[in-house]
Amino acid sequence: MKAEVIVELNGKEIYRGKSDSFVVNLAKALYIALYSSRAGANTWTTVTTPTGGSAYVYGLNGPAPGQYQYAGGVWLAMNAPDNDDSYGIWVGSGSAAVSPRDYNLASKIPHGTGAGQLDYEPHTITSSYSGTSSYVEIARSFVNKSGGDVIVREVGLLARNYWKYSGAVTNDAKFLIARDVLPNPILVPNLASLTVRYRISLSL
Amino acid sequence: MPREKINLNIDVSTTVVQAREVKLPFLKCEAFVDVMQKGEDDSQELEPVRGWIEVEVRDSKGEVVQSGKHRMHSLLNNFLRVLDGEARATGGVALSTYGTITSATVTGLDGLSKTIAIEWYSSRYSGGGTTIATNAGDNDASYGIIVGSGTDPVDLNNYKLSSPIPHGTGAGQLDYDAMSVVDLGLDTSVSPPVYRIRLIRGFKNLSGGDVTINEVGLVVCNFWEDFDANGNPYINYDVKFLVARDVLPQSYVVPSGGSATVAITVEVVMG
Repeated sequence: MKAEVIVELNGKEIYRGKSDSFVVNLAKALYIALYSSRAGANTWTTVTTPTGGSAYVYGLNGPAPGQYQYAGGVWLAMNAPDNDDSYGIWVGSGSAAVSPRDYNLASKIPHGTGAGQLDYEPHTITSSYSGTSSYVEIARSFVNKSGGDVIVREVGLLARNYWKYSGAVTNDAKFLIARDVLPNPILVPNLASLTVRYRISLSL
Repeated sequence: MPREKINLNIDVSTTVVQAREVKLPFLKCEAFVDVMQKGEDDSQELEPVRGWIEVEVRDSKGEVVQSGKHRMHSLLNNFLRVLDGEARATGGVALSTYGTITSATVTGLDGLSKTIAIEWYSSRYSGGGTTIATNAGDNDASYGIIVGSGTDPVDLNNYKLSSPIPHGTGAGQLDYDAMSVVDLGLDTSVSPPVYRIRLIRGFKNLSGGDVTINEVGLVVCNFWEDFDANGNPYINYDVKFLVARDVLPQSYVVPSGGSATVAITVEVVMG
């Protein structure tokens, strides 16, 4: 399996490089999913959230009799909607080296139209499959409506582990699973659009 | 970081390993050379998620008669389709939402297209599930690590082993033990650091004859269930599908009365 980060500015590719910066949170989430069994007991592990706190990630949750209507969830959601900068692809201005235990960008650029902010667009997911080469790509654009330049030096991907029933949300963890520092800063001028793509591929 | 271009030709004990051209940062070339010197059959550059398959065969006295460690090459399209589904999932639905919100399509072990649930909520009472479980119990060969005797080349569209060895005690069968899934954690003593997850399964040969293992696969289970007001279960999804298949570079012959242990170590490579 290979992973790439692709960055485009106003639709033109300006960076493509190998992403080799998955972090411990992802490995723990993968472990707890694999550790689960059919119709077994709940399984969970802990990850570190962007605030530095601890949160649960469930690999299996819920299938036991009880009065909990509309119960269920999702293991590793990534498709944050428009204007939602709580998970999915993030961008930042920090350049601190990637560490396996990273749980946040060094300096996240928040969603917004103020100075130093970018407007977070919805994600698009594309995929292609064949017998010898396949990929899945998750992409997000960031539009600069701040009135000034914004510099991007790092990108990240956050997942969401969400479980609920009719009465309450029982788990809603959003956590960093990959972080990459770009080799060169990217200046995003006012009104420009930056697109970041994470591509996971398989080949024989 | 500068790129180095090297060619390797290393004589490893009795095996001459001819490495292809390598284009990697220097430190990663060092790691690659280390792999080669262990006599393993790797010839690929480092990947962010990779795996190793270890096989150990014991005779009826418990003595190790054959063992090997091989690079796991072949995650399949079914695995990617799960990631595809997760990438499309949003979470955060309203408390009154129910049903299948996000799904993915995989190829089941029978070769038929199957829908699996990625994000799902019960319409009855209680409920929940799991996406890619592997922790199968004793005698359950329907998921977890499976073995086979076939040697057909791997294709990313593979959905089953080319010749699966069934669970049992008859001719050509092996007794499948319970899976073990172990979190080995982060290893920072290697460069780059890796986080290891180890999946292990034992197979006893009670068939009365030799059984040959040539291929190893990993089957996951997507299972979502809910219950009615009286506690009666309703299974909404129970799909098992192959996510990895490797044809081993050598055959492993499990003698009558002996056993084999197969371990898959998944390594998530960090930075």
